[in-house]
Amino acid sequence: MAQVHLKNVVKKYGSLEVVHAINLDIEDGEFVVLVGPSGCGKSTTLRMIAGLEDISGGDIEIGDRVVNDLAPRDRNISMVFQNYALYPHMTVQENLGFSLKIAKFSQSEIDAAVQNAAEILSLTDLMDRKPGALSGGQRQRVAMGRAIVRHPDVFLFDEPLSNLDAKLRTQMRVEIKKLHQKVKSTIVYVTHDQIEAMTLADRIVIMRDGHIEQIGTPLDVFEHPVNTFVASFIGSPPMNFLEAQIDGGKIILQDGTALTMPAGYAANEGQKVTFGVRADNIMPQNHAMPAGNNMALVEMEVSLTEPLGTETLLFAELAGSEVQAKMLNPRPVQNGERLTFEISLDKCHIFDAQTGNALKAQ
Amino acid sequence: MMQSVSAQNRKRIAKTAHFVGLFIAMSIICIPGLWIVLNSFRPTVEIMAKPPVWIPNELNLDHYRAMFGGAGEGGVPVLTYFRNSMIISITSTVIALLVGMGGGYAFARYHFKGKSAIFVGLMVTRAVPGVALSLPLFIIFARLGIIDTHFGIILAYVAMNVPFTIWLIDGFMRQIPKELAEAAEIDGCTRWQAFWRVEFPVARSGIASAGIFAFLTSWNEYALASQLSRSTTSKTMPVGLLDFTSEFTLNWGGMCALAVLMILPALVLTFLVQKHLIAGLTFGGVKG
Amino acid sequence: MKRFKMPPWLVLLLPAIIILSAVVLIPLVLSLYSSFTPYKLTRPESLYKWIGTFNYEKALGDTKFWAAFGRTILLLTIALNLEMLCGLGLALMVSKVTRGQRALRTAMMFPMMFSPILVGFQFKFIFNDNVGLVNNALQSLGITDMAIPWLVDGKLAMFAIIFAEMWTSTSVFAILILAGLFAIPQDPLEAAKVDGCTPIQSFRFVTLPFLMPFIYIAMAIRSLDVARAYDIVQIMTNGGPARRTELLWTLIGRTGYVDAKMGYANAMGYISIFLAIFFTIYFFRKLTAARAELGMGV
Repeated sequence: MAQVHLKNVVKKYGSLEVVHAINLDIEDGEFVVLVGPSGCGKSTTLRMIAGLEDISGGDIEIGDRVVNDLAPRDRNISMVFQNYALYPHMTVQENLGFSLKIAKFSQSEIDAAVQNAAEILSLTDLMDRKPGALSGGQRQRVAMGRAIVRHPDVFLFDEPLSNLDAKLRTQMRVEIKKLHQKVKSTIVYVTHDQIEAMTLADRIVIMRDGHIEQIGTPLDVFEHPVNTFVASFIGSPPMNFLEAQIDGGKIILQDGTALTMPAGYAANEGQKVTFGVRADNIMPQNHAMPAGNNMALVEMEVSLTEPLGTETLLFAELAGSEVQAKMLNPRPVQNGERLTFEISLDKCHIFDAQTGNALKAQ
Repeated sequence: MMQSVSAQNRKRIAKTAHFVGLFIAMSIICIPGLWIVLNSFRPTVEIMAKPPVWIPNELNLDHYRAMFGGAGEGGVPVLTYFRNSMIISITSTVIALLVGMGGGYAFARYHFKGKSAIFVGLMVTRAVPGVALSLPLFIIFARLGIIDTHFGIILAYVAMNVPFTIWLIDGFMRQIPKELAEAAEIDGCTRWQAFWRVEFPVARSGIASAGIFAFLTSWNEYALASQLSRSTTSKTMPVGLLDFTSEFTLNWGGMCALAVLMILPALVLTFLVQKHLIAGLTFGGVKG
Repeated sequence: MKRFKMPPWLVLLLPAIIILSAVVLIPLVLSLYSSFTPYKLTRPESLYKWIGTFNYEKALGDTKFWAAFGRTILLLTIALNLEMLCGLGLALMVSKVTRGQRALRTAMMFPMMFSPILVGFQFKFIFNDNVGLVNNALQSLGITDMAIPWLVDGKLAMFAIIFAEMWTSTSVFAILILAGLFAIPQDPLEAAKVDGCTPIQSFRFVTLPFLMPFIYIAMAIRSLDVARAYDIVQIMTNGGPARRTELLWTLIGRTGYVDAKMGYANAMGYISIFLAIFFTIYFFRKLTAARAELGMGV
C-alpha cells in the first residue's frame, strides 16, 4: 500500500499537450476517482501512473519512489481494463495466477493466492473456463481477481464498468466498493460517469481538457462547485443556469425578477453573472420543500413532465431559459399548467458570467 | 392464382439455373486436377490413344514406380527433388516467419513516421516480376558462388515471402487488443515476455496460416528456382517437372505422377488452415 | 554521453529491410545500372561500357517490345476483370447454397494450391491438339472431327492462356468476396428491403459497395502476383507461335537468357517492374480509400 503523488505531470504527443502540469496527492488507502468528459486526459493520466505511457514532464511517485522511468512491471501496481484484457488462451485459474507465475512464486503459493482471490470474488466455480465462455459480469470479476491476486500497492481501474448493462453496473459498483473496504488498498479509478464517481469515491478529481478543475469529496464538489463546468458535470439532472446581473445587491434575472444573494457568495455591483440552481432546489410551493429562510417565489408554466416514480421532473421556462424543477410526492400536472415555485436561494450558486468561476465571498 | 403459379415457376427456374451454374463452375474447377490424377494411373498407351479411351481399361502404378525407382525415361531423380523442395520450402518458411513476425508486430503495434509508405514499399518488392528479378539476382549469386545451392534459393524465397507474411501477421496482430499486452506488462512481464507468453499464443493460428502461405509459395515457385538451380543438388520439384520434357516429346504420365506428388502436401496443408487463411487475408486487408 | 538507441519498431523491421534490400533492392540497382550498358552474359567486360539510354531507346523503338507490352496490358485487363466477375458470380452462387457449403468452399481453393508451372503443363496437356481433353471431348461428342490447334493458332492460344490464368486465380477473388458476403451486416440490407429496394437494387447499392474493399484486397493480392502468368505462358506456348502470345515477361526471359543480352533485357525488365509497381500502388490506394469510406479502422 502506498501514497501516489503527481507533481506537475505533463503529457505531450509531439507538439500537442494533452495533460497540462497536473498535481495530485493520493493518500494511502484512499479511493480516488478521476472523472470528466471523454478526451479530458483522465485515462492518459491513469496510464501514466501505470507506466503504459511515458511522462513528458514532472514526476510521479508511488510510495517513496519516483517511478518515472520504471517499467509497469516494476511499479507494483495492478490494473483493470475497460475491455478486461483477459488472456483468451488461458483458463480463469491461469489468468488469475499469471502475474505470480511470472514473478516465479512457487505453485503452492500461487494456488493459495488464486484460491483466496477466487473466493473473494466468488469465482470458484469458473476456474477451468476460458474467458470466451464467461459472461460480461464474470469477465469483469476475473479482471478484478487478477488485479487483487498479488496485493499491489495501487489498483488502477480504467472505466471498468462501461461495457456492462445498467443493472450489472450498479451491482458491480457495490462489489468494487466492498472490495475496497476489504483490501484497503489505494485505488485510482477512471470513469466518465459522474454517478459512479459520486458513489465510489473518497475524493473526486474532475478533469477537463487536460486540467484538473476541482478535487474534493463527493459532497464537497456537489455542494461547492468551483465553476460552471463542475456544477453542470456533477449531479443529475444538470444544474440550471440563468444569465443575470447584480443590481442593488440583488440578482436581477433577464425578465427583471430580483433574487437575494445566496449565502457565502459576493459579487460586484453591475457584474454580469450566471445564476445556478439545481432542480432539487426548485419545487412547487407547499410541496415538500424543506423550510429555509432565504426562499424566493416565482410563477412558471410547466411545458413538459417526466415522471420518474418517486419524483417527477418538471420542465418550465424562467426568464427566457428552460429550467428543470423537481416534485417529490408527485401528483399529476397538466402541460401548460401555471404553478408557483419556491427557489431555495441558500442552495444556489453565483458564477462569473465570463470566466464561469464561482463568486465565493472571501 | 396465375400470378402465384408464375412466381413459383420463376422460383423453380432460378433454382435450376443456380444449380446448373454451380455445377458447371465446380466442374471447371475440379476436372483439370482430377484429370491429372487420373492420368497418373493410366498407361502411356492409353493416354495417347486415338480415338480417346474414356473409360480406363487399366489403372496401375507404373508411373509412380518409374518415378521413385529413378528408372523412368531419362531417370528423373524425383526423391532428390522432393527432398530439395522440402528443405528449401521449410527453411525459407521458418525464416520468413521469424522476420515477418518482427515486421508484422512493428506495423501492428507501433506508430512511426512514414509507416504506410514503408508498408507499401515492402509490398512493392513482392510485385517485382520473378523474371525481371532473376536476371540481376543470377548475376549477383553467380559472383557470390551461391548459384545451385540450397542457401541461394532459400535466401531468395525468404525475400519473396517476407512482404506477404508481414501483411498477414500485421492483420492478425491488429485483431489482438493492445490491452492484452499491456495487462501482461502490468502483471510483471517484460515486453518480450508479453509477446511470447500472451500475444504469440493468441495469434498462433494466424501465424501458422501465414507460414503455410509462405510454404506454398516456395513449394510452387518456378521462375526464380529455374535460374538459381542447375543440378540435382538444388533443383526443386517445379523445376524437375521440366525433366519430363525433351525436345519433341512429353512424358505426360510421368509428369502427372510428379504433379500429384507436388499437390499432395499442398492439399493437406491448405485444408488444415483454410479457415484461418481466409480470415487472415480479409482481416489483414480490410481492418488493417 | 547518451548512446544512440534505435526505436523498437526499426529493430523489428530491420531484418525484413536488410533481406529485402539484399535480395531485391541491390539486384534492382544492378539491373538498373546494367540496363545502361550493352552487358552480355558471354562477355563480362561489356558490363563496364556505358551506353546511356540506348537500350531504352531501342526497346521503345522496337515493335516486338510494344506488341508484347500491349498484349501484357490486354491480358491483365481482360484476365483481372473476368476473374473478378467470375469470382463474384461464383461467390454469390456458393453463398446461396445451404447444404454442403463447406465442401464447396474447400473445392474452390483447389486451384490455389497448384504451382503455376503445373497449371501451365496441365493446360498444355488439356489443350493439346492431339491427345488433349478438350479436343478429345469435342471429337467424341461429334461437334468437330478436326484437331483444333488450340495452342498453335494465335487467337486460340491467347484464349487458352487466359483460360488457364483464370482457372488459377478466380478462386482468390471468389474466396475473398465470399468472406465479404458473410461479413456484411444484416441491418443495412434489411433497411434497404424496408425502404423498398428490389433484390437487384439492394445488391447494387448495399452489397456491392460493401464488397468493394474485399474486391480490392483480392486485386491487391493479385497485383503482387501477376507475373505468375509468366510460368503459365512460358510452359504453354513460350510466347509462340511466332511470338503471337509473347508477353513482356517471356520476351525478357528470352532476351536475357536465350539471346544473353542482359543489358537490353534488364531495360525491358525495368519497364515491367514499373508496370507491376504501378498496379500494386494503384490497388493499395483503392483499398485504403474503400476502407476509409466504410469506416473500417485506420
